[in-house]
Amino acid sequence: MRRRNRKQEPLAISEVELDRLTRDLDDAHHAALPSMHESLAEWRESDDDVRAGITRLVSTPASRRAFLLGGGAVLGGFALVGSGVGSGVGAAVTRTRASVPAAAGQKLTGDLAVVALAASLENLAVGTYQAGIDAANKGSLGDVPPAVVTFAQTAQSQHQDHAAAWNGVLTGAGKKAVSGVDQTVKTSVDKAFAGVKDVPGLAKLALDLENAAAATYLGAISAVKSPAGIKTAASIQPVELQHAAILYFLLGQYPVPDAFAKTTTARTTSDKIG
Amino acid sequence: MGIDDVRLRDLLEQSQDLHSDAMTTTRAALDELVELGHDARRGREEFVAMAPVDEATRRATLMGGLPKSGVLAAAGLGTAMVALLASPAFADKAMDVQMLQTAASIENLAVATYQTALTLDFIGGASANAVVKAFAMKTKDQHAQHAEAFNAATTRLGGKAQDQPDPVLLGVVDNAKPSLTGPAQVVDLALELEDGAAQTYVANTGTYSNKNARSVAASIMGVEAQHVAVLHAVKALVAGGAAELIALPPDATKLPAAAGSVGFPNSFYPTTDARPANEGAVQ
Repeated sequence: MRRRNRKQEPLAISEVELDRLTRDLDDAHHAALPSMHESLAEWRESDDDVRAGITRLVSTPASRRAFLLGGGAVLGGFALVGSGVGSGVGAAVTRTRASVPAAAGQKLTGDLAVVALAASLENLAVGTYQAGIDAANKGSLGDVPPAVVTFAQTAQSQHQDHAAAWNGVLTGAGKKAVSGVDQTVKTSVDKAFAGVKDVPGLAKLALDLENAAAATYLGAISAVKSPAGIKTAASIQPVELQHAAILYFLLGQYPVPDAFAKTTTARTTSDKIG
Repeated sequence: MGIDDVRLRDLLEQSQDLHSDAMTTTRAALDELVELGHDARRGREEFVAMAPVDEATRRATLMGGLPKSGVLAAAGLGTAMVALLASPAFADKAMDVQMLQTAASIENLAVATYQTALTLDFIGGASANAVVKAFAMKTKDQHAQHAEAFNAATTRLGGKAQDQPDPVLLGVVDNAKPSLTGPAQVVDLALELEDGAAQTYVANTGTYSNKNARSVAASIMGVEAQHVAVLHAVKALVAGGAAELIALPPDATKLPAAAGSVGFPNSFYPTTDARPANEGAVQ
């Protein structure tokens, strides 16, 4: 990634001090991982519960159906392009079961459909950050501040962790991992990315993705049946919102705009994955 | 300092508009609680045990979650737990209500703590960084709204609203007050409270038996995590003697590389320092 070439003012802040803080925080991250693994193991062990959750879908509350079958959400500030989400709602709600038809060639329903959706969103985030890093390395975004480089690399790494966690659930349940992305959202991301010319443009796109992921997890917490699934979503949603807070800050916007997290940009299992 | 007060006010107003949208989600959850309460009174099943949260998890949340690090670890929690568990009132209360009351008690304490901080000149006075002051004011208001939401959920489940602070954490805050001699100490205390709140709500989200109570907590936990992210960044910049970089918009070119990631240290939000579920329950 191309960093700023111009001579910078000496930093009053000590890089050594910040490096030490970062190492401490990295240690904390690794300390949190065992708890996460326990949660995933619990989910795998309660595979019967996951499967039972699938069968319970037929008689689910309206909010669960809406999440699983599609709600016509938009991603951040730009409407989905050619997604068919809006037009598909009427048809979708007439179905009795949610499914992810394009998830690695397998049909998934119920909680596992939500898991696949989550994995695909994480994969999309990883890919989008990579595209941003590649664009920066080519010099397409102009000068890129060091803090933005660190942000993108760290956020991307955490999204990889999230994707691995969700795929661990799928493989633990005897399903294939999702290596593809949410194509419905990607259509919009691709269009927006084509117009990104600088760091703020990329940051706005990343912010939309982070908020959409967080909203999806908040919706999932109400929709999935598996306790371990709820725990997993609950452990990730705050991290996506932390990414969003730093992006707001970098964009010069107030970093905690809402007293309550929203579900308005949540994705649904009617999204195409592949 | 590079701070545009007019722009900051504009941003706060914009965020207020966004907040109104967000409230819709939480109000919907609370409204559902009312409807479900009516259903329950009609003898329907939806009111209870909406998700099969296992008893072991609930027990672990109730008994566990004692902080393993930080100033909270030294707060004599074992004694407090024993006292609470021995209370007859404890046995009579549904765990969901206790968790909601504890959450409200944490929020009440956060409101009081930020209010106290704002009386300090270097946080709320003339010598304060404008962004830090605005953050303290806005965050205090957000915590007040969280307390209101938790209490609304509590009363709609048949419990009593909690208007008192978490008794254990109150001791921590009281002990810390004499040492609040500069922004760094205030940020440390706020960070401890915010992270404790976030970890508690993350842990509890996996434990609530009532789906709508869970939704209320889930809609708040990420916001506390955002407070944590901001405070981590502020802490690092203050510790590095670069408080002037705490500005909206920031001079991103001058931010050190580590500032880009210091706000979100974990891929998965931890729960090791979550507060016990009944710590702030109404006695």
